Amino acid sequence: MITLYIALPLAVVLLLNLSPRRTANALSLWCGLVLTVFAGAYTLAMPHVPGLADAFDPANRVLQWKIEAGNLAGVMFLSIALVVFSAFWVGRYLIADSNRRFIFNNLLLLCMTGMNGIVLSNDLFTLYVFLEVVAASSFILIALERTNAGLEGAFKYVLLSAVATVLVLSSMALIFVLVGSLDYGTVKAVLTSGQLDAATSRFVTFAIGLFVVGLFIKGGMVPFHGWLPDAYSSAPTASSVLLGGIVTKAAGVFTLIQLAQNVFGWDKPSPVLLAVGTLSIAVGAFAALGQRNFKRMLAYSSISQIGYIIIGLGAANEVAVVGAILHLFNHSTFKTLLFVNSAAVEKQAGTVDMDKLGGLANKMPVTGFTSVLAMLSTAGVPPLSGFWSKLLIVLGVWLSGAHAVAVTAILLSVVTLAYFLSMQRRVFFGRLAPGLEGVKEAGGWLLVPEIVLAVITLGLGLTMPWFFNTFLVPLRSLWSL
Amino acid sequence: MENLFWFLTSFVALLFIIGLYALLATRNLLRILIGMEILTKGVTLLLIAAGFLAGRQNAMQPIVITMIVVEVVIIAVAAGIVIASYRNNKTISVRALRNLKG
Repeated sequence: MITLYIALPLAVVLLLNLSPRRTANALSLWCGLVLTVFAGAYTLAMPHVPGLADAFDPANRVLQWKIEAGNLAGVMFLSIALVVFSAFWVGRYLIADSNRRFIFNNLLLLCMTGMNGIVLSNDLFTLYVFLEVVAASSFILIALERTNAGLEGAFKYVLLSAVATVLVLSSMALIFVLVGSLDYGTVKAVLTSGQLDAATSRFVTFAIGLFVVGLFIKGGMVPFHGWLPDAYSSAPTASSVLLGGIVTKAAGVFTLIQLAQNVFGWDKPSPVLLAVGTLSIAVGAFAALGQRNFKRMLAYSSISQIGYIIIGLGAANEVAVVGAILHLFNHSTFKTLLFVNSAAVEKQAGTVDMDKLGGLANKMPVTGFTSVLAMLSTAGVPPLSGFWSKLLIVLGVWLSGAHAVAVTAILLSVVTLAYFLSMQRRVFFGRLAPGLEGVKEAGGWLLVPEIVLAVITLGLGLTMPWFFNTFLVPLRSLWSL
Repeated sequence: MENLFWFLTSFVALLFIIGLYALLATRNLLRILIGMEILTKGVTLLLIAAGFLAGRQNAMQPIVITMIVVEVVIIAVAAGIVIASYRNNKTISVRALRNLKG
């Protein structure tokens, strides 16, 4: 029953809101945690479901998915469940008011519904509806505390998201004129039939261009990234975990990967994607260097890391696309981990301004250690998981002939290391900043997601040679259908 | 029939221009919301015209109706944000929401 991915979170939200408020307040967290664990386990076990059933070999129950959209869907379900799971713990830890926490938990579940729907949708209009479900719940998540900064971040997101929606829907209208349907398969059959005359193919290019720009805005790619740092850094940290970890990836990047494969039928290296990706890497990395706010730096780092996924997609060969998908998953683990760490710092030290922090590693050993792990993984230091995905991406981009892009990506990886080292020095190492003598390690509500995510980052990195055969080699033929 | 289509598309273009102008020219948060609404109305009309041109109005009708519902949800959330901003700052000027930098 693959529809459970959508139906179950939605049903839980409805039931919680129908039951008496006091019970619902207490239940919402546990319902959410059980649901996300269930979703993750269900994905890993991948039972026999329509569409995925034939794809699934019972002999390889762990992480071996069918070589079609089913594969990619599995990766996304897993990342979504993981990030939402972490966000529940962080919300329990940070949001003191139980009514507000109830709203937060409900919005998390709605957002999860929307993201699972994006993964499962099979025609462009369904995709649009779920994109808007995710967008609407993230607006409220950003503005949850009703601070001026939160409202500003949310309003910027609303505005750019509206523009993106207009672009996406206009593109759909143009595609509908040509095809008479919005179903992925039908549209792909027409677009890739090779029988379009010159004027029609210009028309198609224009329509696809509108769609892709809309997705770039949703995914926060340079030059459409203006809303993203504001939204991430002004949101309550519990919401930033969700937004930074998965929302832009599901709404922008995953959609782009899926459409490129299932609808647009791109099979050649795309200079536009390579250029936008490189630009995102560069702008994100250099902007992150100059930040004082911990969360804002992480937001710019997200832009930069999404750039790597985009160049992987732009190279359009097997190695690069597998790397991009792996990086999508990795990014959702280590960036979530870093946001969880920022939540710990914010709660314990009372600020995320890096100039006022320092020397927290001794006071907060778990948070300090996991953040080093996450940061090294983001920067692509072996043997952590981020190294493998970046290696595959750079290798793939090099093989596709875009040598300059591959070299730039490696060089900018050094900048990633630079800004994270600067972050570590200012937050966790060095002399203890005045006024932070009484800081203690974060409570158990935060240690659970920290440890889970750190184990995944380290474990996936160490066991990658094994995963390479069971997980990546099957994914490989995603691109050469 | 052909005339009706061109009439619709030129009206769509007009709505887009008005909507974009409203987004860019004003400093009033509510007017920005109205600009967003005009833009989405333009898209709605474009979708209807597309269904008409493809000769598949039946397929387009549920899409347009669903789209209207979704868009109302979005605008309700956006209006909520504007109201919260008004309660904080006692103004609906964009200036109240222009402090984040860097």
